[in-house]
Amino acid sequence: MHGTTPLLSALNLRKTYVKFANKIEVLRGVDIDVAEGEFLSVIGNSGSGKSTMLHLLGTLDKPDDGCIHLEGRRIDNLPAADRDQLRNRTFGFIFQFYHLLPELTTLENVMTPAMITHSMWSWWLKRGAIRKAALEMLDRVGLSHRLKHRPQELSGGEMQRAAIARALINRPRVLLADEPTGNLDAANGQHVMRLLRDLNQQEGLTIVMVTHNLELVHHTDRVVRLVDGRVESPEKIAMPTFAAAGAGT
Amino acid sequence: MYQFVLCWRYLRTRYLAFACIISVMLGVATLIVVNSVMNGFSTKLRTLLHSVLSDVVIEGHSMEGFYDPVGKIERIRKDPKLDAQIESMAVTLETFAMVQYQKANKEFATRPVRVIGIEPKARTQVGGFSEHLARQKSKTDPNFDIPDEIRLRWDKAEESWKAFREFEHREAVKKAEQPVKPVSIEQPLIGVPDEMKHIFAKKDANAPSIPPPAPVPHVKRMPPGAIVGHLVAHFKYRDPNTKEITDGCDIHPGDSIVITTVTTGESLKPVYDSFVVVDYFKSDMSEYDANCVFVPLEHLQTLRGMNNRASSILIKLKDYRQAKSVVDGLAELFKHEQLGIHTWEEKQGPLLRAIEIEKGILNVLLFMIIAVAGFGILAIFSMIVSEKTRDIGILKALGASSGGIMTIFLTYGLLLGVVGALFGTILGLSITWNINGVEAFIARLTGSHVFQGDVYYFKEIPTDVSTSAVLLVNLGAVAIATVFSILPALRAAMLHPVQALRYE
Repeated sequence: MHGTTPLLSALNLRKTYVKFANKIEVLRGVDIDVAEGEFLSVIGNSGSGKSTMLHLLGTLDKPDDGCIHLEGRRIDNLPAADRDQLRNRTFGFIFQFYHLLPELTTLENVMTPAMITHSMWSWWLKRGAIRKAALEMLDRVGLSHRLKHRPQELSGGEMQRAAIARALINRPRVLLADEPTGNLDAANGQHVMRLLRDLNQQEGLTIVMVTHNLELVHHTDRVVRLVDGRVESPEKIAMPTFAAAGAGT
Repeated sequence: MYQFVLCWRYLRTRYLAFACIISVMLGVATLIVVNSVMNGFSTKLRTLLHSVLSDVVIEGHSMEGFYDPVGKIERIRKDPKLDAQIESMAVTLETFAMVQYQKANKEFATRPVRVIGIEPKARTQVGGFSEHLARQKSKTDPNFDIPDEIRLRWDKAEESWKAFREFEHREAVKKAEQPVKPVSIEQPLIGVPDEMKHIFAKKDANAPSIPPPAPVPHVKRMPPGAIVGHLVAHFKYRDPNTKEITDGCDIHPGDSIVITTVTTGESLKPVYDSFVVVDYFKSDMSEYDANCVFVPLEHLQTLRGMNNRASSILIKLKDYRQAKSVVDGLAELFKHEQLGIHTWEEKQGPLLRAIEIEKGILNVLLFMIIAVAGFGILAIFSMIVSEKTRDIGILKALGASSGGIMTIFLTYGLLLGVVGALFGTILGLSITWNINGVEAFIARLTGSHVFQGDVYYFKEIPTDVSTSAVLLVNLGAVAIATVFSILPALRAAMLHPVQALRYE
């Protein structure tokens, strides 16, 4: 956790969107390091580029400039197939709007990343183990009673928990969460946050969470604030489990 | 793996997909039905044509025909190769003629026909003859013999003729026995040559009277039999009561007909003879049924003064696939004689070719139906891709590759094509196999017949399902469904994951 190289680090990330001939500079040189086992929250106003940064970290998008390293290996300029594999095995995503596939049951949704990993043949060979892992994961998030339900039959909290189970099925190194409680009521939000906290503390899962809800920040080890596409200043909030030094910027 | 799971789910949950399936299904079903019916028509027509024409025909070029058909048959039989390939041969003499008969209302009717002299047994062995006969159906030795009931009728008629002739004779005798009044011509016989004056000289009353005419010797003659085409003897009319098209009969079995034709040789002379109708020929090919009259070969030869001449030799092969080599062999054998040697297909070439061309054009046109279904798939797929944009973004975020996303939609297109083609084949085949029932149903529904038996050669819609055509149609439909899903699939694959995720 205190290694010399952070698990994930971004240097001078720049991203500009062109919309109707207007250039919008979303990120103007973001530097960020994520240590292994850290629960990092990124806050900022809407439009400050939090989500864009998360997408760049998770190789969903390519930066215009700057670079991203995963354990010292540059990942932002990898070929598409390698980046697909990273998203599949190394990063787990959860979103504000859960983004479950409406045609699939909860269990199938959770198994989707594993399905993407495996070809039909290896899926057939390992289907028992994968199913078992998915069931365990659903049990972990408290949804074992909702296996056969479709997403539209679940509540928001349940959907988000299913999404967390899906993100974790392939045992990723980093969980990237984009406003995970943004669409949930307080109770459900608390529930999800507790789950994330537990995952971080009990299983040492590295989590990068983007939020604009300052209250959630108390659950996390470290906070980074984005203002106008730049990291404002590393703001440290004292927490009981506070990890003394994040990798220095 | 996920591609197939999602594909299957999309198939089951998207109702839009059913539109694609139905359009492919209808296209495939239409193609199969039309193809089968066209095939049926052409097969049926070929069978019909072939059933009247023998496999190979040797024919003379003119109405005089050629000499010594029997000798030619012997020569063919002496060739070991040809002998092994040929099953049977029959000599025929065909010519144009007029047939005259008395209609039911005692009016005389004359119509042109083709009169064909045959040896019924040999002709039957060549095939396509006795199976079309009405009375002697499928007999191995049909003949022109006059059946007993007809003979009895003729004998009765003969009796009354005989009685009538005797009565006539008696009347003549009675007339002769009456004294003849002397004829006197007082006028001078001007301009009458001397040697003829005794004709007009005064008759002596005691001169011996004119002897009574001798009775006409009664020669009992039974005309030879003839087999007339069904439509020569019958006419079609619409029954005013039932509105059904029915056959009216002009020439009944046992009626006598007079056939007039010409002799051969330098000066053509009309010759005629009467025949008794003993049977009908009904091949369902109006061209034959409405024109042919079969008579005994020798009788026609004698009538036309063509001893040992014939117009054609019909040949039946053991295996029709050898037709080409038989034709070549015969051409070699008769290379010094002016004979035409053809297979039946060559003789009916233009008609058969026309049907083939028609079928080809129809297939091209109908394939456009499936192409239309293809554009339907394109449109509907584009909609589905739009609808699924966010899901595509999710899948990409979970690590699905562009190729994988493309596979989803290509497999989806393939699956729709396969399912559509499958249902289309089932629908098409069940319509094809019950086409006459379907036709009757439509006729009941609309009140007018789609298929009118009297227009065609056949009573029912003939069908012939060709497995290769069905397979080809299926393959084409699946290929078109897949090809038209390439574009939407590409679009899906190219979607940018972040934009796709933001898509609402």
